[in-house]
Amino acid sequence: MNALKKPMTQKIICIVVALVLTVISGYSFYEQRHYKETVVVSDALTEVQWLSDYVPELKGTFGDTPIFVFDSGVEGGSALICGGTHPYEPATSIAAYVLMENIQVEKGKVFVIPQSSYSATTLGVQGNAYPATVGVTTEWGEVRYKIGERNTNPLDQWPDNFTYINYPSGQSQAYNDLRNLNRCYPGRLDGTFTERVAYAIMEVIRQNNIDISFDYHEASIMYPVVGTYVAHDRAMDIAMMAAMDLSSSEFDMKIEQSPGSLKGFTHREWGDYSDTLAILMETPEPFIDRIVGPMTEELMTTGQDLFLSFAGEKGLTYVPYDLETGWPMETRVGRHLSGCAKAIQYMGMFYPEKELVATWPLYNELVEKGVGAFLHDPSTADPNFVYEV
Amino acid sequence: MTLIEAIIHYTYFIMAAIMGLLLLRNFFKREKKLGLVYDIVYIYCVIPFLLRVLYIK
Repeated sequence: MNALKKPMTQKIICIVVALVLTVISGYSFYEQRHYKETVVVSDALTEVQWLSDYVPELKGTFGDTPIFVFDSGVEGGSALICGGTHPYEPATSIAAYVLMENIQVEKGKVFVIPQSSYSATTLGVQGNAYPATVGVTTEWGEVRYKIGERNTNPLDQWPDNFTYINYPSGQSQAYNDLRNLNRCYPGRLDGTFTERVAYAIMEVIRQNNIDISFDYHEASIMYPVVGTYVAHDRAMDIAMMAAMDLSSSEFDMKIEQSPGSLKGFTHREWGDYSDTLAILMETPEPFIDRIVGPMTEELMTTGQDLFLSFAGEKGLTYVPYDLETGWPMETRVGRHLSGCAKAIQYMGMFYPEKELVATWPLYNELVEKGVGAFLHDPSTADPNFVYEV
Repeated sequence: MTLIEAIIHYTYFIMAAIMGLLLLRNFFKREKKLGLVYDIVYIYCVIPFLLRVLYIK
């Protein structure tokens, strides 16, 4: 009798412990999936659209994400700025938020999608261990932004095929790129979840006749395409001039032409499947380098890592690196904001009919004052301008 | 194609549920490897399947 009782007691204890672990981990995962970022948009906001306005099949899914429109009402050029294509590159969405909180438009209109791959914000990279959010300090408190994944959440698109074949090129790519938004362009309406999101963003560009489109990214500093514009053929002149101008005035900026055979990327497909001038931008993000030590919030914020500094000393990095400077968040956000402002400026010079006049904080101001100086307190702001993303 | 995608997607959730139930059955009823360590392994392995079926992870 006792011999039978003991295993049953043992099993009950195991079940209770497992349930406790399930609740603890499940709560953490649930929080990450449903966490909302807060933004106080500038009074230049004229409209909030959703991707589901363009592809109704996305309504009610984690693929639906807001598009903030800042229209001057004066005829001119138009720009689309996409942050969060890969949410584990958070300077991209933070740059979009800083822009949205401070933008003023005098001519033309600006569309901003701060979290382009919303589903990918709802989890962390599988197999990695790092914080779910990163904090930005302001005078009125701390704001926390998500550090998500590279690919969309398997809860939204699962299973992964053995091979991913990009549509319509037929090019074979890595299997898990089936959930990578920046491999799924131009997308298709009857495709996978991620392809539908890609198709919706293509529709935003096509239906609004967007003149110039930016896809913000961050890259590991041991990856050659870092601190770089990657421009579609038609955007090369603009990006080349902007890169030279920035390199002589604010910070080093490289330029690469989008390879014609590299399919599924924004810098290729946005330009091939619409009339927009497509530019992808990469800032240095040491956090995602393969050789770094603990992936902490401090590493995300400062970009300072001892292991990476050894690589920097040996010239193995594609941007300068030293432990003291690192690559702090304000530098990375500032690079994105100045990078797209400069390209927009040159678009107006190359194509006067597409002139777009808009202002937002630039690199030097970000470096001097920090990111927090440009964020507004939602508790004291006009509730009509406070949004959750 | 969207319909086929959805069918495959939800089929995998059902498969996760079946795998979880099989592990749970082996946790309670098995003839070999009856020690505590195996109890822990079986019940620990149920957790990810449970979280997937609950649409949490």
